[in-house]
Amino acid sequence: MREEELPYKGIEGIPIIKEPGSASKVNRGSWRLVRPVYDREKCTKCKICFTYCPDAAINWTPEGPEINLKSCKGCMICVEECPTDAMTEEKEGT
Amino acid sequence: MQEFKNLKDLPEQDYFTGGSSACAGCGPSMELKLALKALGPDTLVVNASGCMTLLPLYPNTPLKVSWIHNAIENAASTAAGARHGLDMLGEKDMNVVVFAGDGATYDIGFASLSAAATKNERIIYICYNNQSYGNTGFQWSTATPYGCETKTTPRGKDNPIGTTDVHKDMMKIMGAHRVYAATASLAYPVDFLNKLVRAKERGGFSYIEILGTCNTGWNFDPRLTVKVSRLAVQCGMWPLYEIDKGLLTLNKDFQELKPIDEFVKIQGRYRALPQEGVEKLQALINEHWAQLKEYNGQRYV
Ligand SMILES: Cc1ncc(C[n+]2csc(CCOP(=O)(O)OP(=O)(O)O)c2C)c(N)n1
Ligand code: SF4
Ligand code: SF4
Ligand code: SF4
Repeated sequence: MREEELPYKGIEGIPIIKEPGSASKVNRGSWRLVRPVYDREKCTKCKICFTYCPDAAINWTPEGPEINLKSCKGCMICVEECPTDAMTEEKEGT
Repeated sequence: MQEFKNLKDLPEQDYFTGGSSACAGCGPSMELKLALKALGPDTLVVNASGCMTLLPLYPNTPLKVSWIHNAIENAASTAAGARHGLDMLGEKDMNVVVFAGDGATYDIGFASLSAAATKNERIIYICYNNQSYGNTGFQWSTATPYGCETKTTPRGKDNPIGTTDVHKDMMKIMGAHRVYAATASLAYPVDFLNKLVRAKERGGFSYIEILGTCNTGWNFDPRLTVKVSRLAVQCGMWPLYEIDKGLLTLNKDFQELKPIDEFVKIQGRYRALPQEGVEKLQALINEHWAQLKEYNGQRYV
């Protein structure tokens, strides 16, 4: 049902977040001390990194994973779980 | 809907984005992301106060589905009300899903959870169990395991064990409501998503409890979130099983469990747990595991 069709309009003045997934615009990259670095040559496209990223900072493309450094908090789960060495760790600022 | 076979088979679409204020490597965030893959865009999530309440922080949200934040006491009642309202509006295909912590589930919201289960309301209740009141700084809940140190059960000279009580057997309690109850782990995402599909197709009330691996509270390096979750299953600390109308099915069997020491030694919350404490924890796990093996395929509650 569309919002305009709703019989109850809610209480005026209560803030409503209207843009789904708007947090993706927030830069969480500033939290990172280390960052994941991807090597396409070594990737088997197994989807493990894509599945386990807690912040959905890895997008899946036909060519494999694509890291969104704006959302990546540098937890290193993708590096730890990657079965080949396609994801490696690098210090920020290097 | 067909069940998923492997990781590559899981839906590629996410209804969860980055940018939240949850800790790096947060297990419950990953679990919500994964759950929404199976549930899809026509989902209303009802959340009880806890860590996940801070996901949508005005003016931003990482969610691409509807979300109601609710008092910690009554997420299940709110969900049941939303279910009835949506049904009256003809929105019968909309999923109503609770996402609540163990404090909200085992303790403070237990009465409303039990009522909604007894009435077999058509909702999926997911408890992300980080074995503590995480958001308020890691205090003891009735889900906290024996031997774990929390803010309210500190280890010390008088009490070297930390948490001396044995956690509540919530699966047995929910199983006794004669609904669908299942445990899950983020380290076994295919199993988790299939349980959500089963819950959805089955209709009625479903209770899914997933180990809410929490690097901040449990005190380990966030890179180990999946490893710690996997070890919990392999050590028998977090067995994967379902109870459907009282019948037990063990989903992940092992010839031999890994020693609990492997799980304990990589987490700060067990630091300095004396050997006798580790042995008691192992004995509790062995007893539970033997029970599950004995009743596998049979009436359990
Ligand atoms: C009745 C009531 N008591 C206390 C609180 C404060 N409070 C807010 S979040 C929270 C922790 C909830 O723990 P849990 O349900 O385990 O979720 P987690 O924080 O671990 O995600 C508490 C105690 C509250 N909101 N309502
Ligand atoms: S480091 Fe963590 S947040 Fe960053 S892409 Fe890898 S899994 Fe995602
Ligand atoms: S886990 Fe490693 S091998 Fe698998 S898709 Fe990701 S980068 Fe490629
Ligand atoms: S304290 Fe634990 S559950 Fe809460 S946001 Fe941090 S990692 Fe997640």
